[in-house]
Amino acid sequence: MASIDIAAIRKAYGSTHVLHGVDLTIKDGEFVVLVGPSGCGKSTLLRMIAGLEDISSGEIRIGGRRVNDLDPKDRDIAMVFQSYALYPHMTVAENMSYSLRLRKTAKDKISTAIAGAGAKLGLGALMERRPKALSGGQRQRVAMGRAIVRAPKAFLFDEPLSNLDARLREQMRGEIKKLHQDLGATSIYVTHDQIEAMTLADRIVAMNAGIVQQVGSPLDLYDRPANLFVAGFMGSPAMNMFAGTYRNSGGAPRVELAEGVAVPVGEGIAAADGAKVTLGIRPEHVVVTRGGGPGIQAFIDLVEPTGFGTILHASAFGSDVKAFSLERGLATRGDTVSVAFPVDRIHLFDHEHGARIG
Amino acid sequence: MTEAARAPIGRDRRPFMRRFAIAAEPYLYSAPALILIAAVMLVPLVIGISYAFRNVILLDPFSGGFVGLEHFREMAKDKAFWLALRNTVSWTGWSVLLQFVFGLILALLLDQPFKGRGLAQALCFLPWAVPSFLSGLNWAWMFNPVIGPIPHWLYGLGILPAPDNILADPKLAMWGPIVANVWWGIPFFAITLLAALQAIPRDLYEAAAIDGATPFQRFRSITLPFLAPTIAITVMLRTVWIANFADLIVVMTNGGPADRTQIIASYIFTQAFRRLDFGYASAIAMVLLALLLVYSLLIVLLRQTLLKEA
Repeated sequence: MASIDIAAIRKAYGSTHVLHGVDLTIKDGEFVVLVGPSGCGKSTLLRMIAGLEDISSGEIRIGGRRVNDLDPKDRDIAMVFQSYALYPHMTVAENMSYSLRLRKTAKDKISTAIAGAGAKLGLGALMERRPKALSGGQRQRVAMGRAIVRAPKAFLFDEPLSNLDARLREQMRGEIKKLHQDLGATSIYVTHDQIEAMTLADRIVAMNAGIVQQVGSPLDLYDRPANLFVAGFMGSPAMNMFAGTYRNSGGAPRVELAEGVAVPVGEGIAAADGAKVTLGIRPEHVVVTRGGGPGIQAFIDLVEPTGFGTILHASAFGSDVKAFSLERGLATRGDTVSVAFPVDRIHLFDHEHGARIG
Repeated sequence: MTEAARAPIGRDRRPFMRRFAIAAEPYLYSAPALILIAAVMLVPLVIGISYAFRNVILLDPFSGGFVGLEHFREMAKDKAFWLALRNTVSWTGWSVLLQFVFGLILALLLDQPFKGRGLAQALCFLPWAVPSFLSGLNWAWMFNPVIGPIPHWLYGLGILPAPDNILADPKLAMWGPIVANVWWGIPFFAITLLAALQAIPRDLYEAAAIDGATPFQRFRSITLPFLAPTIAITVMLRTVWIANFADLIVVMTNGGPADRTQIIASYIFTQAFRRLDFGYASAIAMVLLALLLVYSLLIVLLRQTLLKEA
């Protein structure tokens, strides 16, 4: 087990810059998830930690030791690939023991390690099979088994669940989390799936276009997104975003969303009267009431029942407002309702730069 | 299969002609192709094989009679045949081995990313496009000390005691055609092995690098198992091809000096078209055919086991 320090890491392929100076410290035993859309540089960062990509500038330390110039095999890390990368001509047992055999570990130690990992992952009966005789979920388990038999300093996961179907992904997500709780190993996990990030992480690193957007606990990112990117990326259905103008003269602070439509906002907002802002509110925080309640008048365009709840699409002040409600028969298509945005649930962002202002 | 065997007995009440037409239909569809194959492949093959048991000498108008196994008995006592068989083994063995080793090295080099790789690939595959007679002539000239540089280089390196033509040296003559054949045949292995190399998923190498494998260990535990089926099939194809391949030898040494470069294929050519003894030549060809069939069968079995394991 070890901590990982990433300092001012940059990556460029020729004149194309992929990472623009990433700083990150991962504590011993922490589960950190790198999340972002494809092409944001998260996989590149992971591969640089693994030693599969050269570091253009900056420094990576694993357990306090600078690893910039070390080969992957000397970094004492294990990696789980999206494609699993199992050796097709080796059995499950051989796949899992390969790294130990290369290190000339004693035979009895190898068999104990494999048996332990196999039991932990429920692979006991599959030991003599070859990968092609396994299902996707089983292959995924073998890939994880191959990582844990080595007891490395850190685990790196590169979108390990992307090739599984939704049901299996959910199950494996739980198993990975449980495994981490058992082993307590430092782990870095790359995914583009914000649900995976939310459920697995001790800390999430949200990335976009080669820049770290926000680092924090899952609920931090969800409740207080640092900018428009994080606000829009985390959460499903996605956060409502409305352009508006901030007003604090001649009355309480408010945001004008349209002619004659103003939403009251909290005190202490870092914006001048008349500033262009973006107002964000999560669908589950939008309050929908039928018949003359408080708020803005809206018409229901679309109702999406999810079983768990209902997603309502309403049009109001020329925008589409999404609301999520656990209540089922709240409204049907064509209804007139009123929507309200509670003051303490409103996120305000600077319109130009997208940074959070309140 | 006949119609009687197919139809449930006693139930089919359709007229005989109709049943016959239905039964014959698939055979009629495939008949044109089958007749063509039989006419251009099987008939000549059978006639050729029949020569082996007949006394067919082109210049003897009274020849053509059945002689049974006479040719094979003669062959057993024919010293030139046994020498040619030994020569065939060393010609084929060394040619295939060296072509394979250099072809594999070339494929591994061309699999690395570097600038101008496309051009390098095209250039490396060029020898394959050179007609074998032309390359034989070129190499024969290069081994000739009067006009070629190779004897002088070998002498300069101390490998040869004097800058002589190795094609005229009974002990070394076989190496001339082998070198020409290796040069000419490397691209075949390089192309096929490169294609197989490029089909290996890259992340296997990355996983192995993280697992702690050195480049050589990665080659042994990933590259070789992945290439094995391709290696088996290409080595088999090339062995059969080279064992039958007399062009370079005929052009460069014509079997000489003192039959030291005579292989079975060129010996058949000599028997058939120089001595015009088609019967004996056919008998030798049958022996070569049988040997190559046994060899191919072994390789195919080996490949099946390799594929089953992978």
